[in-house]
Amino acid sequence: MIPDLSIEEPVSLSMAPYSGAWTKAEAAHLLRRTMFGATNQQLLNAVADGMNTTVSNLLQIPVISDPITYDSNDATSAIGTTWITSVYPSDVTSSQLTENARIKSLAAWIMKRINTEGVSIAEKMCLFWQNHFSATVASDARATYNYHMLLRTHALGNFKQLVKDVTIDPCMLLFLNGATNTLYSPNENYARELLELFTIGKGPQIGPGDYTNYTEEDVAAGAKILTGYLVDGLRSTTLPSPVSTYTSFLHDTSTKQLSAHFGSVTVPNAGANEYSNYIDIIFQQPQVATYICTKLYRYFVNYDLTTAVMTDIIPEMAATMIANNYDILPVLDQLLKSEHFYDVALRGSIIRGPIELMFGMFNATSSAPNFSLAVDSEMYLTMYWLAENMGQAYATPPSVAGWIEYYQAPAFSKLWVNSTHIKTRFDIANYITVYPGIPVSGQNLKLNALAFVDGLSLPSDAVQVIDDMCDVFFPKSISLVQKTTLKFILTNGQPDFEWTLQYNDYQANPGNTTFSNPVKQRVELVLARIFQMPEFQTI
Amino acid sequence: MKRRNFVKNVSLASVAAPFVLKDINFQAIEKKLFNYSKNAADRVFVIIRLNGGNDGLNTVIPRDQYDNLMIQRPNVVVPETSILSLTPTLGLHPVMTGMQSMFNDGKLSIVQNVGYPEQNRSHFRSMDIWSTGMLDVNETRGWLGRQFDNDYPNYPADYPNATYPDPFAISMGYEVSATCQGLMANFSQALEDPFAAVNLLSSSVVNDGSYFGSHMEYLATLIDQTNAYGAQINTAANAGNTLSTLYDDNNPIAVQLRYVAQMISGGLKSKVYILNINGFDTHNAQVSSTDTTAGAHADLLKTLSDAVSAFQDDLQLLGLENRVAGMTFSEFGRQIASNASDGTDHGDAAPLFLFGACINSGVIGPNPTIGNTIIDQEGVTMQIDFRDIYASILKDWFEVPMADIQPLFEQTVTFYQVLGACNLSVEDQEFEKTRILLFPNPAISATTIRFETQNEWVKIEVFDLEGKKVLDVFDGNLNQDTHTIPFEIHDLMVGEYLVNVLKSSGNQQIKLMKVK
Repeated sequence: MIPDLSIEEPVSLSMAPYSGAWTKAEAAHLLRRTMFGATNQQLLNAVADGMNTTVSNLLQIPVISDPITYDSNDATSAIGTTWITSVYPSDVTSSQLTENARIKSLAAWIMKRINTEGVSIAEKMCLFWQNHFSATVASDARATYNYHMLLRTHALGNFKQLVKDVTIDPCMLLFLNGATNTLYSPNENYARELLELFTIGKGPQIGPGDYTNYTEEDVAAGAKILTGYLVDGLRSTTLPSPVSTYTSFLHDTSTKQLSAHFGSVTVPNAGANEYSNYIDIIFQQPQVATYICTKLYRYFVNYDLTTAVMTDIIPEMAATMIANNYDILPVLDQLLKSEHFYDVALRGSIIRGPIELMFGMFNATSSAPNFSLAVDSEMYLTMYWLAENMGQAYATPPSVAGWIEYYQAPAFSKLWVNSTHIKTRFDIANYITVYPGIPVSGQNLKLNALAFVDGLSLPSDAVQVIDDMCDVFFPKSISLVQKTTLKFILTNGQPDFEWTLQYNDYQANPGNTTFSNPVKQRVELVLARIFQMPEFQTI
Repeated sequence: MKRRNFVKNVSLASVAAPFVLKDINFQAIEKKLFNYSKNAADRVFVIIRLNGGNDGLNTVIPRDQYDNLMIQRPNVVVPETSILSLTPTLGLHPVMTGMQSMFNDGKLSIVQNVGYPEQNRSHFRSMDIWSTGMLDVNETRGWLGRQFDNDYPNYPADYPNATYPDPFAISMGYEVSATCQGLMANFSQALEDPFAAVNLLSSSVVNDGSYFGSHMEYLATLIDQTNAYGAQINTAANAGNTLSTLYDDNNPIAVQLRYVAQMISGGLKSKVYILNINGFDTHNAQVSSTDTTAGAHADLLKTLSDAVSAFQDDLQLLGLENRVAGMTFSEFGRQIASNASDGTDHGDAAPLFLFGACINSGVIGPNPTIGNTIIDQEGVTMQIDFRDIYASILKDWFEVPMADIQPLFEQTVTFYQVLGACNLSVEDQEFEKTRILLFPNPAISATTIRFETQNEWVKIEVFDLEGKKVLDVFDGNLNQDTHTIPFEIHDLMVGEYLVNVLKSSGNQQIKLMKVK
């Protein structure tokens, strides 16, 4: 059970452009890894568009709308308007209620973004960066929102610039004590994680305080370099947003000495820009590209960094990254078009995380809450909590290293599932299919089974319905016996033509529940079954 | 003084290496933690997590520091006369009458000032530290999980099986316990109601040797395992019993502990049960503004005390007292000085409770010292490292050899005598009678002999029933002590043998049964 040598490794270790067959299987693999849940129609479009067009479609970050106030507890922004630059009320209790309303709105908004992702890698990348730069929520929802937007804006942009911006972002300054790192009391927390987790990575310890890529002296020097930034305007009654401010008298103006791992260079005082100079120095080490590329690889391809992968794949990715001055997009463009990426041995090699699981159900069935602003928001909030229940609260990774499932050997994504979480996964599957739904604010959160089946290639054909569902939900083809079982559930054991008749009757009588309910019920039963199959738990 | 020294083990270096020990695997013999003796295998440990940071100073009150407590936390401290006396210098919060009785009956002990160096006051981080039993931020396994990993290395793949049909640990509630996180899987099963059926849709997937296949196997195993464990839990709960009338149905911890009693008495072989009480993060209104003996914290302590004392009563009535012990823990204590909101803020060390008929009753460690001036954010200074308490529990209760315990922890382990009163295993009891013991016996491929010597020459040989010597086990000088020597019996035919211990202070014989 432990990933071992007997596991069949990818045949292709080439980053050369993939030139093999471009079928629904390859298109589905691409969309499964880059989106949370593609619909059958999106798969068909991707097949028709071809690999290159589909990848370039995916590598665009769509413009999105702002989070909206839906709770009347927000004292300074009206329902239906955005709160992202609204001040806070001065009364402490009211301020806290406002914050609660905003953080709920923000959590719901992030879930809605995922639920309405479209054909884009944006949401997957946002989660990637949230895991990588794992700052959790600040005490001011505007700071938390700004932080999220920073990650989103740079999602496919320049990694070096992102590191610079994150370094002095109020949320991060608060999270890793940058805001209390001053000349008078240096705090190494951020300086350490900057090297250990965010840029170059910690290598094996090869001497006292020497972690191959950096030393304890570098951490101490980094802390001094980063001194002087404070956070201002948290829950301000006048400022539209918290800001980081540089305060020169809190900055350590001494010349800082870096270790041999950074060429033993010194970093002279450069005031407010010193952090930027320091990050430039860090990024001169190609190990930074290697480090971030292994994380991208693990997130999009496979947890297993075999010797072959470290020899043949990662260096090519890193070379692309360095050639493009640390831009992310060219690296992903190359990876998602590579022979290696489409190797059959990699299909289904990742167990879905809670968010992938949930939106694998909602998105792939084109299901979205559609009641009122308040109800929909509460439903999205429910999704947030369900994911939290299964071990992935989007805005609060469990530690600064992110979710252990992305890094903890040897089990990796297997750790998402334990006896509790498997039950929760199956419970949710039942609730949103065969049960009346998850009750939220007097409505039921449930999949839209009819819309889903209507969107399939040939809904009146039982065989095609099952085939489409398999393409949408499973990373590999399932056995004939399994398919037959699913079709048996769909047709209720009747000959296939009975399904055709039932479906056609429903189509001929729009709005008539006598005809639509049996169709809905059969599709829900199949979905419930599919969502409880181990095959669906992987991508 | 009871003979608990056998785990002290005759180290290989201290005896002339017996030549029969050619390829014997000491590890293999000593393996299977929680199974070193029959008794340890039957033992159950209950862990109650006080989530949020329990205010130790208002739980176990150092009466000799009362004047200064009045200076530091006048709005929170309970009236001196209301404190329930344990010792002349120590008392319990007035609502904890149940636990006071347990203390008086020798079924409750207190370990004072428990914490760890450089206390982290973040709930999450500190709870991680307490769950993993490590300060290392990179540690992701739980302290029990590490030990379970050692004992059941291929978990979850090969479990449950005929030998281990039951879950190794039960976590009451929604969440598996971080204390039981192992390398590949969590060793605990979460459950709210042992009577509720678990029936996850199982599947017959095949591991095709790919990454996907390995996931399929893992998931199918997990599903089958959850179902199988669920069925075992159901069966035990239905077969089990509960006799105490002290459980209060409105006390959620009492209800859960009653379930635990029911499962244990029904024969479930789970070794650890974990419970959780939320709400100890009492920044505001920890006490009622009109009565410091009432309020949120008092309610929580009453919940704890009532539940644990009802459970202990039940265990006694069920005849299970000698098999069950437990402890409480919290991620930190609270600051010495109270705040203006009738509450207390995140602090450092705090006392923890051990309970059960088998604990070494009394108080370990001195009272905390409370100063007469308020120092901003000051917490109780840590004196006993919680990791040493964990290690001591593994040693005393589960009889893990000390040599196997140290590698589980990062600190140099100091052992405390925490659970001693019943620490007489079946083997121990036998040894008490005969002063010589073979275990296991009957044995298949290896067994261990335990015997006492003066400072003298000793020779141990094995004879068949016709008087023919079949094995030399040991020949050499030994110090005055109880000795434990494992030896292989691979090559012996199935049947009865006599192990002869020759020594100047008097010879001893014991029968050995070799089985297939």
